[in-house]
Amino acid sequence: MTLRRLLVSTALAVLSAGAAAAQTINALVWCDHADPALIAPFEEATGIRVNLREYEGTGAALAMLEQSRPGDWDVLVIDGIDVPRVVEAGLLAPLPADRLPLGDLFPQVVLEDRTTRDGAIYAVTEKFGYNTLSYNSARVPEADVASLDRLLTDDYAGRIAIYDYYLPVIGIAAAHLGLDTQSLTEADLPAIREVLFAMKDRAATVGEVVASQTALATGEVDVVIGGGEWLTGVLEPEQPELTWTIPDRGAVLWSQAIGVLADSREPEAALAFVEYILSPEGQARLATSSCYWGMPANRRAGEHLTEEQKRILRWDSQEDYLSRVQLYPAPDEALDAAMQDLWLEMLQR
Amino acid sequence: MTSRAGGWALVAPALLWTLCFFVLPFAVMAAMSLARLEGRELVWGFDLGNYARLGDPAIARAVLVSLEITLTVTVVSVLLAYPLAAILAFRVPERWRRLALMLAILPFWTSYVVRSYSWLLVLSREGIVNRVLMGIGLTDAPLTLANTRFATVTGFVHFFTMLLTLTIYANLVQLPRNYARAAQDLGASRWQTFRHVILPLTLPGIVTGAFLTFVLCIGDYVTPQILGGNRELALPQVIMLQLGRRADFPLASALSVALMGMVTLAYLLSARWLRLDRL
Amino acid sequence: MTRALSWLYLLALYGFILLPVGALVLFSFQDGGLPVPPFQGFSLRWYADILGDRALMRALLHSVLLAFGSSALACALGFLAAWGLARHALPGAALMRAILVMPLAVSTLIVGLGLLIVLTRLGIGLSLWTAGIGHVVINLPLCFAILYASMGDQQRSAERAARDLGAREWQVLLLVAVPMLRPALLAAFFLSVTLSWDEFIIAFLLTRFDVTLPVEIWSLLRSGLSPRLNAVGSLVFLVSALAVVLAEILLLARRRT
Repeated sequence: MTLRRLLVSTALAVLSAGAAAAQTINALVWCDHADPALIAPFEEATGIRVNLREYEGTGAALAMLEQSRPGDWDVLVIDGIDVPRVVEAGLLAPLPADRLPLGDLFPQVVLEDRTTRDGAIYAVTEKFGYNTLSYNSARVPEADVASLDRLLTDDYAGRIAIYDYYLPVIGIAAAHLGLDTQSLTEADLPAIREVLFAMKDRAATVGEVVASQTALATGEVDVVIGGGEWLTGVLEPEQPELTWTIPDRGAVLWSQAIGVLADSREPEAALAFVEYILSPEGQARLATSSCYWGMPANRRAGEHLTEEQKRILRWDSQEDYLSRVQLYPAPDEALDAAMQDLWLEMLQR
Repeated sequence: MTSRAGGWALVAPALLWTLCFFVLPFAVMAAMSLARLEGRELVWGFDLGNYARLGDPAIARAVLVSLEITLTVTVVSVLLAYPLAAILAFRVPERWRRLALMLAILPFWTSYVVRSYSWLLVLSREGIVNRVLMGIGLTDAPLTLANTRFATVTGFVHFFTMLLTLTIYANLVQLPRNYARAAQDLGASRWQTFRHVILPLTLPGIVTGAFLTFVLCIGDYVTPQILGGNRELALPQVIMLQLGRRADFPLASALSVALMGMVTLAYLLSARWLRLDRL
Repeated sequence: MTRALSWLYLLALYGFILLPVGALVLFSFQDGGLPVPPFQGFSLRWYADILGDRALMRALLHSVLLAFGSSALACALGFLAAWGLARHALPGAALMRAILVMPLAVSTLIVGLGLLIVLTRLGIGLSLWTAGIGHVVINLPLCFAILYASMGDQQRSAERAARDLGAREWQVLLLVAVPMLRPALLAAFFLSVTLSWDEFIIAFLLTRFDVTLPVEIWSLLRSGLSPRLNAVGSLVFLVSALAVVLAEILLLARRRT
């Protein structure tokens, strides 16, 4: 009887809590946004509640948005490179330029040709980093990570992990082949396949963030292809030998952008959230959020980061890095399907 | 007459629930498996193209991987669980039996996702298994155990050994003790008693347990995803990949129907001994 | 000889079965950032960390609501159906039994995917309620099977006696059948709570924001290697084990009286 009363009262509490919340926004995001240290300060300051749902691939996010009822979603975080796909589908609302810290962003990551259309801004880059090589410097000489060539020999058989997302790793393979990641076509896939297969043949695992971190931290593997600051940043304080580098032939720049959905029912609250995320304080918290670290797009976030955090993010080397990397590949629907099939083929090899 | 109407009224809610939320969705899924994705546009129709994809080497491999893993797991789990259940039922003194059984299924009560994850730690390079193997000199360098099919199978076997121990134990304790005694009085050896009396009597229990193992194992996404290291994908992983990255519902549906086909096949093969309605 | 072998086997298998849980619990006390050997010392900080995590605690509440709610409904539906089929000669009874038990023989992935497709087609938003629908689908066959199997002749005569004494049908149901079947009802209920409590794929596919504990743990697992996971796992372990002991004591106490 008391148990039942307890259940009923908790159920009521939950229901009323849901009803009482004054303003709620629903955000479709990547896992770094799910850190309470990032969200709680915004909720406390504004009284706006933020519901978060993480997703995996852009295709799945688009399907989720298209199948939702109008007003289901207010904020979207998405691959910078995929913003045009969302804009074309008419899903994003233009943002007022005077409320965005556009002048403070690293100019190389603004990606104006992707985030704007006909002069209107649809999304703003919030965080970036590199998909490149993470490695254990105690076991791998620096010369070996200067190029994929050394890693794709039998010396590294069973010592490699591949990050399980097709676009960045295909980008790395393309950079290794000297291709331009932005103009890839189906004709490039056979050569890329060779490189992917060579990686797979030597890979001990193909894993997501945690699986790759575990493999590297436990010594299961010595190199993670597709890794970067976002992978080793959280491990470095305890295991300083885990680090990352950009090989001579370059690597891939990832970026994520934030925008407000066109049919949001709470556009003002959603915009307030975007403003918060792009503010120096929000940017510093986002850069060091629990899921993965990454460079804040707003340079003024530096005022709120400690020297140690900046060192791990390699704040001072960004200009050099940015000059040596290419963007994530941005395939159209058909090429995307072909790339995903290639990835599946690689996994099943 | 009223009795029959009353009977219908009693069965109707459960039946409607199952029809609306299980049979109907399955039918829609089957229809979806014949649709096609053009870009992101869903085109309904009668298109066997998704099923033709089962011939793709990558997807055919997934079917094979799933079958191999599931069969290995089922056989190994039965072989491990049967003796354990028998020891618990016949060797452990009665007053300790309940406690011993509880202990044997203790890890049931951790979260499923966490249970798989903890095997990852146990099997890692620095993990307990490698330390013991190196400590007793069986190997010089740590073996790669995590992120392999071995790890997936181990994770599965761990879970299903517990499940099967439970079901087989329940069967064994229900056996009238005097059957075995009678057989031995008639001159049967221990082995003969087991082979001709106990085994046939517990066969339905074993087959039911093995069938459940098959169904749960072949449809599971969590264990191979966490432990397998994506070196090879099982069918549920391929299905989830279609959903998570591309939202390709038609292909995911076709692969699910194929999965259902495998389960049905297993059902038909074991139907003779199966007692699903009395677990 | 065979006796010694038996004990050895028992010991070896207990080792195998308890090994991962032991490692899990041990490293939940890890005084370092990574839940991997070597063990760096004893600390409770990861427990403090997760107990203060709002998302995890909300997920815990959702899991409890889902497990108890869906099990209660599944038991009620299963009980009515079992009673109807056991006490009334209905045409097509075998077919109905087969349909009711069928979801048991199907992967939960298929149940979840089918419902996901239908719900999105109908434009019904995903929530804890939709996950609840899915959980009733998988729990119902179990409850039905257990209850149907336990409706023996003994109860039948008691029910008939009650009817002869002028009890109405609902009185027979509530005052005779339910109390007599209480052990089976409790068993079905707790088994289905256990299943639902730990179910991942349906809850993953069919919820949006109000995720359950296994789904929250899954996203933790995807978002960073940390002894937090061990702490959550150990805590779930402790809570479930306590619940089992409690249920055991309750059931045993009932049985004795």
